[in-house]
Amino acid sequence: MSKFMNLIAAGLASGATYGVFGACLTIWFRVCNVLNLAVGDFAMLGGLGTAVLIQVHGVPLGWAIVLDLFGVGLLAYIFDRLVLHFAFDRGRSEHGIVSVFFYTFGLSLAIEGGALLLFGSDLRAAPTLWSGQALHILDFNIERPAVLVIALAIVSGTALWLYLRFTVSGRAASACGESLIGARIAGIDSAKFRRWIFIMTAVLAALFGVLESPIIGFTVQTGPTISLLGVVAAGFAGFRRPGKAVVVGLLIGLAEALIQGYVSISNGDVILYGALFSVIIFRPSVLGLSALA
Amino acid sequence: MSLTSGALEVENVAVHYGKFIAVSSASFSLAPGDFVAIIGPNGHGKSSLVNSLAGLVQRSGEVRIDGVPLPSRNPKAAVAAGLVLVPERRHLYPGLSVRDNILLGSYVKTSRFFAEKAWEDVADVLEVFPELSELLNQRAATLSGGQQQMVALARAMAARPAIIMLDEPCLGLAEAVSKRVYEWLVMMAATKVTILLVEENPVHALEVADRALEMFKGVMSVPDMATFAKEQQP
Repeated sequence: MSKFMNLIAAGLASGATYGVFGACLTIWFRVCNVLNLAVGDFAMLGGLGTAVLIQVHGVPLGWAIVLDLFGVGLLAYIFDRLVLHFAFDRGRSEHGIVSVFFYTFGLSLAIEGGALLLFGSDLRAAPTLWSGQALHILDFNIERPAVLVIALAIVSGTALWLYLRFTVSGRAASACGESLIGARIAGIDSAKFRRWIFIMTAVLAALFGVLESPIIGFTVQTGPTISLLGVVAAGFAGFRRPGKAVVVGLLIGLAEALIQGYVSISNGDVILYGALFSVIIFRPSVLGLSALA
Repeated sequence: MSLTSGALEVENVAVHYGKFIAVSSASFSLAPGDFVAIIGPNGHGKSSLVNSLAGLVQRSGEVRIDGVPLPSRNPKAAVAAGLVLVPERRHLYPGLSVRDNILLGSYVKTSRFFAEKAWEDVADVLEVFPELSELLNQRAATLSGGQQQMVALARAMAARPAIIMLDEPCLGLAEAVSKRVYEWLVMMAATKVTILLVEENPVHALEVADRALEMFKGVMSVPDMATFAKEQQP
C-alpha cells in the first residue's frame, strides 16, 4: 500500500509538469491556432535566471523571482511586438500558420543560445520556496517543492478553465481562434488577446521553472524537453482545453509512475507512449479534435 | 437599440489592395431607417466597400455616422458607433455554441464580466429569431446554412446596431431558405435599424429594399430603375 501511495505522489508530481505546460500550450493555441514551442524555454529562464540572480549576483530570493518573472514577461512582450505582430496582424495570410509555428521554434533556439551565454552550461537550481522534510500524508511521503508544483498545476488549470467557461473575455479569446474575421467584425481585438495570453503563459511557465528547478535541476537544454511533455498533454486535451490538459497531464504522470513501479522501470516510457498512441489511433475522438472542424 | 440614430454618410471612399483598385470612388448617404441595396456583378467592389466601412480593410475618404467621423481600419470603433457587418459566408465561431456566437455580438458594448449576465442583456434578440431558442447549446458548426445565417443576423442584432450591413446573405443557400432570410431582413427593418444590403441578384434585393445603388468597376452610381426593371424581365 505504501509503495502504491508513494508512486501516486511521484506520478502527481511529474504529471504536474505535463499539466502546466499542456495548459500553457492549449490556451495560446485556442486563441491563435499555433503551438508555442518556446514555452519550456521560458520555464528554463525562470529556474536558471532566478538561480543565477541569487547565486552569482546575491539578489534576495523574493526580488530574484520578481525580477526574473518581469524579465520573462518583458521578453515575451518584445517578441510579440517585433515578430508575432508582423506575422499575425500584418501578413498572416501571406505567411501562414506553419511559418508562425517556426517563429516560436526559432524563439526557442534563440532563448537557448542566449541562456548559454548568460548562464553557462552548468546544472543549476533555484532555492526551494518551501524547505523542510518531506510531508507524510496518509501512507505516503511527498517532497514539499513537489506539493508546490502540483498546486500550481491545479490552480492554473482551474483558473484558466473558469476564465474560458464563465467570462465574456474568455469567450472572446476563444472566438479569436475560431474565426479571426468573425472576431474582428464583433470588435474583438485578437492581437490584444494573443499578446497578453502569450505573456501570461510565459510568466506562468517561468514560475513553474522557479518551483520545479529545486526538484530536478535545470540546464539551458531543459526547455525543449519540457515543451514536448506539454505537447502530449495538450494533444489529449484537443489543443483547446487547458483545464482538461492539467487533468490529462496528471493522469499521464500517474500512469507513468505506476507502470514504472509495477511493470518495468526501463521500458516504462515505451509502454506508456505505446498505450497513448494506441488511444490516438483507435479512439481519436478522445483528442477532441472534432472541435477544430 | 444603439445610442446613434443610424445616419450614414460615405464620401469619396476608395479601397486599394496594393496596386489593385477595388473601389475607386463611392459616395452615398443613408437616413435613419433606410433599407438600401448595393447591387452589381461579382468582383466590382461591393464587398470591399462594406468591409472597409466595417473597418476590416484600409480605406481613404470620409465616413460619418450621425455626423461623427469614423476612423479607418478600426472594427471596434465601427461596432461602438453602431455600424455592424454580417459578412459574406457569415464567419461564425464554429466550435462555440449558438448562445456564445450571439453573445459575442455584444462584446464591444457590454460591461459585464460574467457571460451569463451578459447573455441576459442580449437574450431579447430571440424575439426576432425564436427558432434559435432550441439551438442555443448546439455548436454553430453543426447547424444548417440557413440556421447559421440566422445566428449571424442574431449576432449582429446583439450588437444593438444603428446600421447593419449584410454582404450576400443568401450566398450558398437554397431558394426556399433565401426567401426566409429576406423575411428576417424585413423583420429587422421593422425595428427601425438602417440596412445596407449587398446583393449580386438585383431581383431579390429590390423586392425588399427601398432603393438601390450600383457598383460597377469600383465606381458607385444610382441605377436607372426603369431600364433595370426591363433588363430583369424574362
